[in-house]
This record gives sequence, C-alpha cells and structure tokens, in this order.
Amino acid sequence: MALTLLRGMRTPISFRSNSGLLFTVLRPRLSRFTTRAESAQATEPKAAPKSIQLATKEAAEQKTQGFEAVIGIETHVQLSTVTKAFCSCPYNYGSQPNSTICPTCMGHPGALPVLNEKVVECAVKLGLALNCEISMISKFDRKQYFYPDLPKGYQISQFDIPIAKKGYVNLDLPVEFGGGHRKFGITRVHMEEDAGKLLHSESRSYSQVDLNRAGVPLLEIVSEPDMRTGIEAAEYGAELQRIVRYLGVSNGNMQEGSLRCDVNVSVRPVGQSEFGTKVEIKNMNSFSEINRAIDYEISRQIMLHKEGQADQIVQETRLWDESSQKTFTMRKKEGLADYRYFPEPDLPEVVLSTDYIDEISKSMPELPEAKRRRYENMGLSMQDVLFLANDDNVAHFFDSTLEHGADAKLACNWIMGDIAAYLKNEKLSINETKLTPLELSELIESIKNGTISGKIGKEILVELIAKGGTVKGVIEEKDLVQIADPAAIEAMVDKVIADNPKQLEQYRAGKTKLQGFFAGQVMKASKGKANPVLLNKILGEKLNAN
Amino acid sequence: MLSAAASTIPMLRLATQLRPRLPSARYHWLRPLSSATHVTPPAAAGAGSLEPPDLPRLAKAARISLSPQEAEEFEPKIRQVVDWFGQLQAVDLESIEPSLRAGTAAGSSLREDKPETFVNTDAIVEAIPSYDDPYIKVPRVLNKE
Repeated sequence: MALTLLRGMRTPISFRSNSGLLFTVLRPRLSRFTTRAESAQATEPKAAPKSIQLATKEAAEQKTQGFEAVIGIETHVQLSTVTKAFCSCPYNYGSQPNSTICPTCMGHPGALPVLNEKVVECAVKLGLALNCEISMISKFDRKQYFYPDLPKGYQISQFDIPIAKKGYVNLDLPVEFGGGHRKFGITRVHMEEDAGKLLHSESRSYSQVDLNRAGVPLLEIVSEPDMRTGIEAAEYGAELQRIVRYLGVSNGNMQEGSLRCDVNVSVRPVGQSEFGTKVEIKNMNSFSEINRAIDYEISRQIMLHKEGQADQIVQETRLWDESSQKTFTMRKKEGLADYRYFPEPDLPEVVLSTDYIDEISKSMPELPEAKRRRYENMGLSMQDVLFLANDDNVAHFFDSTLEHGADAKLACNWIMGDIAAYLKNEKLSINETKLTPLELSELIESIKNGTISGKIGKEILVELIAKGGTVKGVIEEKDLVQIADPAAIEAMVDKVIADNPKQLEQYRAGKTKLQGFFAGQVMKASKGKANPVLLNKILGEKLNAN
Repeated sequence: MLSAAASTIPMLRLATQLRPRLPSARYHWLRPLSSATHVTPPAAAGAGSLEPPDLPRLAKAARISLSPQEAEEFEPKIRQVVDWFGQLQAVDLESIEPSLRAGTAAGSSLREDKPETFVNTDAIVEAIPSYDDPYIKVPRVLNKE
C-alpha cells in the first residue's frame, strides 16, 4: 500500500523537478525541415488560390450564419512494428483471438515491460515530420481506468512530457472543395499502448474480449483547435495518413483501425474568443465520414444556438451513424475523468541523443508537403499535384519516370489517366503492376518521336501494365511501328477512296463531315498505325482534288 | 490502488508553478502547495501541511467497497503514510540534480523489435476467470469507456 502511494506521490515531484531541465534541452527544429516549411509558405500567397480561399470562406460564413466552428482532432496511429510496445509478442491484424499474448501484455504480476526501440524511432520520425520539438528526455506514465479491454487496469502512456510537441502540418485543400493552403498546429505527439478489442453482441448477455491488440504501440497526435470546417478536418486526417505512410511508421488504414480520429467540435458566435461547449465525435471510418459528421454536428449546434437552446449543447461523446448521416449521444461526460496519472515505475526515462536524432532526420524521406511544392514548381496544376503526392508509391513512380527523362506533364497525364483507370479497375496499387517507370518514359518518348501514335501508345500501355515487357519489344512483336511513309499512306487512302465511291460522291456534294469516315477507314486498314497527321493531310488533298 | 491518494492531494498543480532554475538559488522542488510562494525554509514544509486523504473517494477510484466503519479504520493509517511525505518535503535538496524518474538506468534499456511467441499460452488461458474459446468473457459492456 505504502509503495503504491509512494508512486502516486512521485508525480508532482517529477513534474517539478524535470520541467526546468527539459525545456532547456528541447532541440531546436531541424534546419532541414524548417527550410522546407519556409519554402512551402513562400509559394502560398499566390493571387489565384487566395481569392478562391476567400470565396469559399465567405460562402462558409454565410452558411454558418454568424457562427464559427472550432475543431480539434486527436488521432491514434497504430505503428507497424513487428512486436508490441513493451513485450515481444508479435502482432498481426486478424490473428486468432487471444493468440499473441504473454504475461506482460496480460498484466500478470511480476511481468516487466521493456520498450521496443522501433517505437521510439517511429515517434521521433513522426515528431520531426510534424515539425515538432523533440524531448531529449521523456518518460512514461500510467493512465488508470477500469475497463475489460485493459488487462492491467492502466494504460502506459505519456502524460506531462510527451516525446514531441509544438509542431505544425501544412496541407492543400482539394481543388473541388475550393482549394487553398492551410497550416494547422500540432500540440503534441506521445507514445502509448493500445487496449484490447471488445466485441458486443445484441443477443449475448456478455461481451467478448480479444487481447491480441493489447500492448500494441500507438502514437497519439493532438492537434491545436485550428480547424473550422469538416473538409479542413478531413484533409488534416488525410495528411496525417499520407505522412505516416510516407514515413512507413503505420499502414494508416482506417478500416483496420490503424488510424483513428476523435474529433472535438464546438461552435461560437463569430468574434467571440472563448470556445463554446465541445462535443466529441467518434466512430468515423473514412475521411469523407469525418467531413460529413463534422458538418452535421456544426449545423446541429448552430441550430441550437439560433433557437436559444445553446444550453442543450453539453459536453458529451457522440457517435456518427453513417446510415442516418447523423450524430447520436453515446454518453454524457460526468465531470473530468480522473485518470490518476503517475510515472510508470517499471520503465526508465526515454533518453535521446542528438546523434540519434540527426541519424533519423537524415533518413527522412521527402514528405508530402515538400513533394507538392516541388511538383507545383514543375508547373503542374494543383489537381495534378494533389493526385501525384497523395500516394507515395505513385509519387515515387512519377519521380522515377522523370529521372528517365520523361516530360512531367506527359508522365502525369499517363499516370492520372490510363494508368489510374487501370489500377482502379483492377484494384491494384501502382507498384503491383508490371509497368516500370523506365517503360513509361520509353512509351512517352516513342510517341513524341513519332515511332508510334498516341492511340497505339494506349494499347501498348495496357500490354505493359498487364504482362510487362518493353515498349520496343511490344512494338516489334506486334509490328506497331507507325506508318509515316507518305507513299504507303497514299496507297491506303487511294484504295479506301476507290472502295467507297458513294461516300466520295456525297463528300464532293458538300457533306465534308465524311472526311472522318474516310480517315477511320484508312486508320482501320493500317491497323491504327498510320500517322494521323500525315493521313489527314493526304486524305484531304485526295478528297478535294477534282 | 492507493496511488489515488495523489489526486486527493492537490499537488498536481505544482506542475504549473514552474520557475526558472537559478544555479545559485536554493531549489526546493519538494514543497507542499500551501507554502509555495518562494524559497521556503525546510521547517515550514513539515507534516500536516498536506491534505488528509479522502477515503471514500480513494476506495471508489480503486473499485473497493469499504463500509463507513472500515473507512474510518483505514483513515489514520493512510494519513500516516501521507504524513511521511510531509516529512520528506523537509529534506534539503540544494545540491541534488532533479531527475525525471527514480533509479534512472543509464545506457540503453530498449528492446529490439524481434518477435518471440510466448509458448505457455495455455497457462495464461487457464488463468482467465471466464473464457469462451477463443474469447475472454466479461460482463456485458456497451458504449461505455
């Protein structure tokens, strides 16, 4: 008893003792990332997007009738480590329930947690990616509550000293939502462990627990209350997803619960500095659900304000119901939960060295924001930029294609057009196909230099993407080289004209639209290989020659 | 369970009372709230300046049922433990470097991310009070946290 109390008492002591120390050792932002952020901002104030931004803002204000929403988001990201945070149990989504458990994650007496080094690495990576200050010394705390999915009766988390804090994230809103660049603050990023999974059944008189997930490492990312609309919140979530995927720290899969967003929404009259009563929304399984859930919740709260029933807005947790497109009360908050945090006595401090952080920062990939700015500087449209940078596999494919000398706009058109359509149909990701960036660049070059027509190019693409091989190989094998010999085309044109005397008569009687018919026939005769420019030129001359 | 005592003593507020640590200044980082103004002589930080424990609340937080009589019996015992900390606050720590945690292990205490399957899961399953293969059976809980 006394021992437990002692642990409890240590909390304030450690607060007091370390804070002075910690603030002084906080690492200044890495210059590399600072530079990126600055260049990002430098490109921001362009005349065109800004006016769109303003217009959408005005439209939103009109809809919200003198009220403004304030939105903050807590995001839990499940790390794609091989083992759990504090024990060596492997974790695989979809394993047989209660199969990957051990005395440590089951909270058996005497079992001691040992931190997985990969968790620290992931946390530092994400902290740097979110432009945070990294704490050179941080610690774990116990967050205590009773629930059947929590074997130990407490969750190991970080309370007063998170591993990263005071960061920000830059993003671009989708063009179809009015576009615009945004910067949202990140309050903190901390390491913690996940709880198990509870299964409820309507029919059974009991609930079921699967503790495979208990102890799996999470990073919790807390945003500043900087968002104002559903789309801003959804895009914030989507950007976090891109970042964790780019970094490879998580698969970011919302369906599997690897990325979960809890959203806090409040509404206040425009101009008021205090926040309104906040409502938490859970149970959103996609970014579009986040968008709609928030917009629904904002209008619900504004409605209550306007009806003089603002007191009906209470601090509570509401669940998004996708079928009715509404939020429903899940539970009212009865005062603040008392988690009785105290420092985790079984784990030492997490001490980082500058060398360690330098090493990680050197290994950081180019992040989505930097990619978008780079693509934007190539002269690509924002729609293209957002598409390419959305998926790091696509971005990587695009970059490799350019490295082989392809033109940016042409490569982008192929990727966004025919390739994206194929991937969507076949439900594949770009690196699961047989097409290589080198062959895409070859294809673009072959069209550019006139070896093949664009139409044939599309056919070759389908071949390459499904079966692999090289552009040259397919061209030779299928004898697809473009016919650019005027004499050969002329012969084909002559034959088609001779075969279609009726149409020729009509053409010469003024139905000049029939040139398309003739062109089609010649193209067909050439098996699509005739150079279309040459064909039309020769055809025109022949048709009009009297 | 008794860690809950920490919350009955409003020392958490100390977290906000940060002041720059001057190298020359006496640094009393263990100090009851009631006298947290400036440098306090150790004598002032004696026992009794801490709030007495709230037994019913502690018991509730620990999910332990105590009869009013039991609560009465425990109260002086726990108060005594709390008072020990009152005494600790008097310790002179002028020359002690503050530490985040007691017993800081120098060097790496991290584990490689290598899986090791615990073999004796049967024993774990056996120790589960109510098991409904392959799930652990618990009282029905819905939409609560």
